[in-house]
Amino acid sequence: MPIDYIIGQLVNGLRLGSIYAIVAIGYSIVYGILKLINFAHGDIMTLGVYAMLIFMTMLGLPIWMVIILSMMISVCAGLLIERLAYRPLRSAAEETTLVSSLAVSTLLQNVLLMIFSAQKQAFLLPDYMTELHTIGSIHLSTMNIITFASVAVSLVVLILVIHKTRIGTAMRACSENLTAAKLMGININKVIVFAFAVGSALACMAGFMLAGEYKTVDPAMGFVPGLKAFCAAVLGGIGSLGGAVIGGLLIGVSEMLFAGLMPTTVTAYRDAFVFVVLILVLLFKPTGILGSRERA
Amino acid sequence: MRHMEKIRLRDSNIFRLICFVLAPLIIIIMAGQKNGGYYNGIVCTFGIYALLAASLNLVNGFSGMFSMGHAAFMAVGAYTSAFLTLAPQQKINMLPGLPEWLQNVQLPLLPALLICGLCAALLALIVAFPVVRFKGHYLAVATLGLVVIVRSVLDIEGDVTNGARGITGLPSSASIWLIFGVLVVSLFIMYRLLSSAYGRSLIAMRDDQVAAQTLGVNLTAKKISIFCISAFFAGIGGALWGHTQTVISGQFFYFNMSFKIVQMSIIGGMASLSGGLLGALFITIVPELLAPLESGFVLFSYPLPDLYGLSNIIMSVFLVVLIIYRRQGLMGNSEILLDTFFSKNTYTSVFKKDEYKHFAKACINLCQRKKKS
Amino acid sequence: MKRKGMYRFLALVLALSMIMVLAACGSEPASESAGDEPSESATVEPSESAEASGDVINVGALFNVTGGQASLDAPALNGFNLYFDQVNAAGGINGKQINVVSYDGKTDQTTCANNTKKMIDVDNVVAIGGLSDTNYALAAGAVAQQAGIPIVFSGATKPSLPDEVGDFAFMTAFGDDTCAYAAAEYVYNDLGLTKAYLLIDQSMEFTTTLADFFQDRFETLGGEIVLTDNYMNKDPDFSAQIDRYLADNKGAEFLFFSGVPDDAGVLIKQFRDKGVTEPIVSGDGFDTPLLWEVAGDQSEGVIVSTHCSFENTDAVVQDFVAAYTETYGNAPENAFAALGYDCAKIIATAIETCGDDVTSENIKVNLEAIESLKCVTGTISYTNGHVPDKTASMLIVENGAFSFIKEIVS
Repeated sequence: MPIDYIIGQLVNGLRLGSIYAIVAIGYSIVYGILKLINFAHGDIMTLGVYAMLIFMTMLGLPIWMVIILSMMISVCAGLLIERLAYRPLRSAAEETTLVSSLAVSTLLQNVLLMIFSAQKQAFLLPDYMTELHTIGSIHLSTMNIITFASVAVSLVVLILVIHKTRIGTAMRACSENLTAAKLMGININKVIVFAFAVGSALACMAGFMLAGEYKTVDPAMGFVPGLKAFCAAVLGGIGSLGGAVIGGLLIGVSEMLFAGLMPTTVTAYRDAFVFVVLILVLLFKPTGILGSRERA
Repeated sequence: MRHMEKIRLRDSNIFRLICFVLAPLIIIIMAGQKNGGYYNGIVCTFGIYALLAASLNLVNGFSGMFSMGHAAFMAVGAYTSAFLTLAPQQKINMLPGLPEWLQNVQLPLLPALLICGLCAALLALIVAFPVVRFKGHYLAVATLGLVVIVRSVLDIEGDVTNGARGITGLPSSASIWLIFGVLVVSLFIMYRLLSSAYGRSLIAMRDDQVAAQTLGVNLTAKKISIFCISAFFAGIGGALWGHTQTVISGQFFYFNMSFKIVQMSIIGGMASLSGGLLGALFITIVPELLAPLESGFVLFSYPLPDLYGLSNIIMSVFLVVLIIYRRQGLMGNSEILLDTFFSKNTYTSVFKKDEYKHFAKACINLCQRKKKS
Repeated sequence: MKRKGMYRFLALVLALSMIMVLAACGSEPASESAGDEPSESATVEPSESAEASGDVINVGALFNVTGGQASLDAPALNGFNLYFDQVNAAGGINGKQINVVSYDGKTDQTTCANNTKKMIDVDNVVAIGGLSDTNYALAAGAVAQQAGIPIVFSGATKPSLPDEVGDFAFMTAFGDDTCAYAAAEYVYNDLGLTKAYLLIDQSMEFTTTLADFFQDRFETLGGEIVLTDNYMNKDPDFSAQIDRYLADNKGAEFLFFSGVPDDAGVLIKQFRDKGVTEPIVSGDGFDTPLLWEVAGDQSEGVIVSTHCSFENTDAVVQDFVAAYTETYGNAPENAFAALGYDCAKIIATAIETCGDDVTSENIKVNLEAIESLKCVTGTISYTNGHVPDKTASMLIVENGAFSFIKEIVS
């Protein structure tokens, strides 16, 4: 196999992985504090994308405005869901909130289905974003470069927030021990709201990149990326932001290398392969790659 | 002294007999009249879902693990049943990759069911190792991964499974009596299992793993064994399901199916087998009741537009509300259904005059209390 | 106290469900006579047919309006309803109005089978139309066959479907073989291309069947499949497959994609963006405006073998397009809308031939006798079996829309 080809597949993997990484960061932030797998994360993403679609096509607003408005909508949706479906369950077992998030996910999907119909709709970015830049056999569009940049920037910004600001410290405290944090006088509701807001905004951004990459939207588009991104978050060590990014990139790369290097009779197994990788990593490192000490 | 006790209707054996044994029996007999009819179909669906939900509760409610992989075991059961019950000619056409001895085998349904269950349990045994090591969420996602892996195999290994085309022409020998017969026997086994020492140690493990360990409970063995037992019944449920549908394909044993069974389990109550039955009843009946809302419902003589997807939305909302306000599910811990069904007292109470008196008194009590309040 | 709460809750649930049942009785005026009572007669004999009574005829519509199949079935249901609305407005069939009893299959096999039973048992439909996916069609078909109710599948395309279900099953669409053979013959004979690259969606029955037929006919003609690759539906990233193609395409002269509408635009855009210039051919899965909506200019020159062309100036087609656009506010989304319309027309024609004696048995016989019925998606005859002998239309994308090339009989 020519090295060119392998590098090409590697870059493909990084491209895909960076999208997973952004979603995974959103997952990690919420999970870190609430220990909640938010299955509705992918659907908040879809909601944001549909909002973008409406703003772009029906109202014809400029891109930056579209993104900001849609992020606000995603954030509102995320906060609403947290208030109605997750807050009453804070004292419940993990599985209960998981099922609740599943129900919310189904709810969102069906509402979007009723409003927008199941037909896939085209999602077109302005031309300058889809321009391709070619280096050797590597093709990257402006969109891809923006995605890479966003991952890096979000990671850096979030790490700074978590380590240098008060709310960040509060978040760290909550993720260590929610009850103790409450006893220490931290307003955990405020912290959780902040975490959800950040997570939802990131989901919206990830949705923008996903929809921009694949140019179509439909009500069920968020589920599979959401699931893979959750695997990424778990792989990298849930609760750890750097881990989420590493997990996302790792999953993207391994998926691509598998699909690119294996004989075609086996390549259709790539989804299964992702899960096998996940299970193997968890067997040997139960808290994920960058995961810290064992959480009881 | 008897008259000081609060005589509750639900304690009366006669009442329980009527409610939980006679009434379902009558419904099954009535539905069974018209083979292939609508009510027959609904009741059969309920029977199969009941088996699936109850077997999921074994794992989710009684052992502290949370599995979402039931669809994978169903798939194994259904496909094994297809391999065993199809005529050799069909197998040669559709599944050329099957080994010869398997192509020539053709079993009647009942023995095939047992083998299906065993195969599903075998799969559970194989994946049990990671299952035992993972906790909480990780286990849930790993079981979802199992569903993906099983479906990938079914879709890709076309020589053996006919790929995405699925297997058609399964003999529709799953009559309503067979289904309920299997259901009752399975429930009996599960019920007995749970009331035995084995079951007690399971519950201990669920409530506090460390304490259970100090009492000598072998956690690993218990987890693996209950996982396999649950898979066994899931495999049988899947096989029965395949025989009522006569066509199976990987796409049916995917997330939707898994989530549906998890929903049943949660709605009815994870910590009770009877809860599984109630949840299955709920999920089978309520969408049917809500269906008219979707197509041209007339509300106060104002025709509503076609609102497909409305019943799904209502069900999701209901699920969230239920989880918030009654997270132990509709049944909670109560095992009233199975207690009634499998206890000798219920049946011998027909012959005891005292029981009738008790029932009468309870009814009177109820009327008096209603009048008072 | 807790017990009381539980009882109250259960009572609430019971009350709600009773309200629903009452509502159910109230919202279906045509089936009120059938009511909700289970029939307590002996086992139904397969040849017992349903009869229409009074001046309303009940026809069942089973479509997966929610779930994964919704993008195909929702337009199909629209087409189906449109036809019967038109018929009813014009006075009905032989003076009787048609009541369409429509249930959502929810892309769930159990729901499809149970709803079919409901239509037959409770609503007393005389015929059923619907469904675009073969596996759901098989589940519903088995029920209809056993009950002796003719079922006409609108969008299912597996050619062996009526054989597998039984003599009460009919198809509106052509078989995958017709579609694939037409594509193979057009490419080989008209375009003169002999080496193919095949990309197949492994997770759908339709795509694997279509690809098999294509390979079959193409190799019989003398062509060669030089490279095959696959993907699973829901994997919208094809860069692995594209890179593999670019690395070594073994001299492929064109690409045949066997995929569903969801992936159509994305596939083309990704391949073209990376510099793949060979012609792209596909089956009716690519008959969707998503091609140019998503792929824009990149979709120019894509060739599709499909049921019909909405550019066809034939009055039948244009009337349908106009009526659909007026009723639903947008042009027919895809060929399945037309197939749903034709499905209704087929059933209506058979009912009309029955005259006053509208029974399922008669409808079935009349269906089999249908010959040269002019429909939106072609001329339909059941003289050679329950899969209609239709032609496939070859379309090419030109200037952001489909252009009709020719019809192929294969």
